[in-house]
Amino acid sequence: MTSIQLLLITLTLLGVMFGSFVFRSRLLYRSLAVLFAIAACWFILFPDLTTKIANVLGVRRGADLLLYLSVLAGIHGFLLLYWRTRRLEEKLTEIIRAITIRNAQEFKADQPRSKEGDLNSRVPAHELSEVNQPGPNPQR
Amino acid sequence: MPSRTHILLTESLIAIEPSKMDHYGIFVVIPSYNEAEVVGHTVAELERYPFTIVVVDDGSRDATRECLSNTSVRYLRHCTNLGAGAATQTGTEYALAQGAQYIVHFDADGQHDAAQIYRLIEPIRSGEAEVVLGSRFLSDNDRKLVPFGKRLLLKGGVIVSWIFSGLWLTDTHVGFRALSRAAAQKIKLTQDGYAHCTEILELIRKAKLRCREVPVTVRYSEYSRKKGQKPLNSVNIVADLILRKLYR
Repeated sequence: MTSIQLLLITLTLLGVMFGSFVFRSRLLYRSLAVLFAIAACWFILFPDLTTKIANVLGVRRGADLLLYLSVLAGIHGFLLLYWRTRRLEEKLTEIIRAITIRNAQEFKADQPRSKEGDLNSRVPAHELSEVNQPGPNPQR
Repeated sequence: MPSRTHILLTESLIAIEPSKMDHYGIFVVIPSYNEAEVVGHTVAELERYPFTIVVVDDGSRDATRECLSNTSVRYLRHCTNLGAGAATQTGTEYALAQGAQYIVHFDADGQHDAAQIYRLIEPIRSGEAEVVLGSRFLSDNDRKLVPFGKRLLLKGGVIVSWIFSGLWLTDTHVGFRALSRAAAQKIKLTQDGYAHCTEILELIRKAKLRCREVPVTVRYSEYSRKKGQKPLNSVNIVADLILRKLYR
């Protein structure tokens, strides 16, 4: 075993260990990570295997195939992160919205509305159904 | 101001009698971000009518709150800036919780005419539509008020809106619209930024809401031109829409 192989295998195993912490509650992702680790170690120990697979797919060198695959994996990871951030932003919006609505302020709440409107702006919600029936028109 | 007389005349021509309407359920939602210069004026104009005014301050860093402290508005404030779409949705949800029967979205910069709110509400009140959208392109007089470059851009916007929402309209990205209570309950904007104008059309179609356009006059002041959306921002809006379509 060469030193680069030793290094790569160590890093792969460490990566998978950390990965399984990240996907704590997802069995599917964890088993995929373990499978990935086994495959990675296998290819590190027998590099010629990648070239054979690459040749089958029409790529000359195994290293090239790995490069293409890692670019695809990178893009996929980026999109996954983008999607997660979007969902996080949506949740943040929800939280801020809830706080905002709870903290709504009414300036001059005690003063009657001016001029045309006789709207008392503090009609409780449960009374609105009655209020909304056609009744005496607001003065204009 | 001659245009003012003209607007009032049109009001009477289309036979809307505001006094015959009940006003208790009309909530005007105004999303506002750093608009302290003008929002006070916009609110003052609206206060001449018996609407409930909801200002959603989208985390402004100017004196928006102080400008409104002498008015009768309901003041909501996002503790951080989220975007026009998020502010509109917050105001709408607040209005629903307060028992609103009609919800009107209104721009803070004074480009809309408060008197025209009745025009937007009338089709909902008569049961003709559930969502009413303002359009600058339904009457010749209103069309002429839109600068030429903006007209071209908006025509492009009409096409984009059609691609993403399936609704063919005469105008797009007007912040002036009215929703019935039932319609507002079915519509939930998730686009926090300006792309919500197209998203709302998509939601209207998905919820199968009856929708109608009515002519509105937009007053382009020096301020609104300066503050309004830059033409280049339309690129961002389209990008937002595409990303949303792909990664959902």
